[in-house]
Amino acid sequence: MSQLFSWMRKWWPGLIPLAVVWIAAIWTSTAPIEAELAARSVAELKDTVLDKTQISASGRDVRLSAEAFSEEGRHSAVSQVEAVSGVRLVNDDTRLIAAAKPFIWLAERDVVRVTLYGNAPLPAIKARLMDAARAMAGSTEVLDRTGMARGAPPRFDNAALLLIDQVGKLKEGKVWLSDTTVNLNGLARELGNREAILAALKNLPEGYVIGENAIRAPPYVFNANKDPVANTVTLDGYVPDNNVHAAIVAAAGRKFFSEKVVDNLKASAGAPQGFSQAAVQALGALSRVSTGSLSLSDKDVKLSGDALFEVAAQQIRDGLGGELPQGWKFDADVSVKPSASSVDPTVCQQLFSELLGKARIRFESGRATIDQDSRGLLDRLIQTALRCPSANIEVAGHTDSDGDNAANMSLSEKRAQAVADYLVLAGLPNARLKAVGYGSTKPVAPNDSEDEKAKNRRIDFVVK
Amino acid sequence: MLYLATFNWGWLVLAALCGFAMGWVSVIQRGLALSDRTIKKCAALLAILILVSLLRVIPGRVGYWLDLGLVMFFVYLTGCATGAWLRALVVSRFAPQA
Repeated sequence: MSQLFSWMRKWWPGLIPLAVVWIAAIWTSTAPIEAELAARSVAELKDTVLDKTQISASGRDVRLSAEAFSEEGRHSAVSQVEAVSGVRLVNDDTRLIAAAKPFIWLAERDVVRVTLYGNAPLPAIKARLMDAARAMAGSTEVLDRTGMARGAPPRFDNAALLLIDQVGKLKEGKVWLSDTTVNLNGLARELGNREAILAALKNLPEGYVIGENAIRAPPYVFNANKDPVANTVTLDGYVPDNNVHAAIVAAAGRKFFSEKVVDNLKASAGAPQGFSQAAVQALGALSRVSTGSLSLSDKDVKLSGDALFEVAAQQIRDGLGGELPQGWKFDADVSVKPSASSVDPTVCQQLFSELLGKARIRFESGRATIDQDSRGLLDRLIQTALRCPSANIEVAGHTDSDGDNAANMSLSEKRAQAVADYLVLAGLPNARLKAVGYGSTKPVAPNDSEDEKAKNRRIDFVVK
Repeated sequence: MLYLATFNWGWLVLAALCGFAMGWVSVIQRGLALSDRTIKKCAALLAILILVSLLRVIPGRVGYWLDLGLVMFFVYLTGCATGAWLRALVVSRFAPQA
């Protein structure tokens, strides 16, 4: 042993190269050991529920900075890092996330995106709400602006998920939770959605109550667009039921005699009072313009387009307002289509024949009152008559063979005169017009069936 | 400590080799030997450093460097002892018989 001490006294010179080796070791190993310990700590905390976790190592000491959701979770996280092999000390910089009072969560929808605001109690719940919002929004962008906070009411996630479903039924608006109070504000996407939201809110978890519900129903919309290029009239929007739907489409078919009616209407409850009458009257006005559009939004009617001549434009501006049901408002933006070039009487006769070949002027049954559905046709006949100012026109009334001849003759005269009067009101000189009734003396088809008789009940325009 | 040794095994081998060489030489060296008093002072300093290390008084990188230095020093001492012992065996085997 004494020999060992004697040797030991001479070992000190080796400390010099040892110091060099030590310096080299700390020079090369410090950064790698710090990186490895930090990585091991991160891996250890992979399944631990923390927010804003930051881990850094200095030598073999690890600094853990994070927000925990409970005191227990906080201690557990520190213990886990302490247990990592190689870690000497853990500098605990963890804290509990703040408690929110009241605990607010909000989902807002606007035209382009859905945004979540407020607080979520756990990252897993935050992610679940975000997934639900994405599934609800489809292709709409979803932004997550929620933070984390303690203090969520029980069954918060169930309530929030149910509210996210309701956001899908909104066109724009927001739903929010303030502790256990549910508030809603905005415009429903479709008719019936407001009621659907109310029904869904009955499934809120126990203890949740509705504070403010200011969801508005969307306007009851009916649109018609007349496209002279495609030769179509497109109907879209809502109708209250199948009967009204059929009636409106049938009326459109009668009024728009030369256009194809494209029916995109959907049945939905919530129509304002007098909707059916207003829609039919407004379609009548639209049938008188060459191109235009009609919009019914709740009880507001808007018509824009080009009338065929000045008197028609004035009649549309003045007339429809009085024909609409009480409480409805009418706004017309009607201009006059530029006059077509004049033509000679032969061409005029051809144009009359073409128009009357497509549709007949209709009257109330057994009377000489012109049916409202024929206004569009009459406007086109007047427009044609205005193109041949030098021609005199015989307005010839005809009936089928039913009834006695004298009555038929009288009815045909009255109907022809009614049409001639309508033309005079539209600005045609009375001197150019002659109303003649032929009764059933000039049939164009045998009076042996209802269809054939209908062909004989007619008004002809004959250029003289 | 095991982790420290595993992570820095190359440097520890180098320290052991330094020690082994120093020990090997020290048996036949006639150089300057430390006095008892210096040895005691060094032992006291070492004890303080060990205490500081065990109590984890020095934080962060400097603490790590101290731990590593101490481990390397003990490996060096072990190398010295091994080298000196082996050299003593060799010397005694080939020493002329009295």
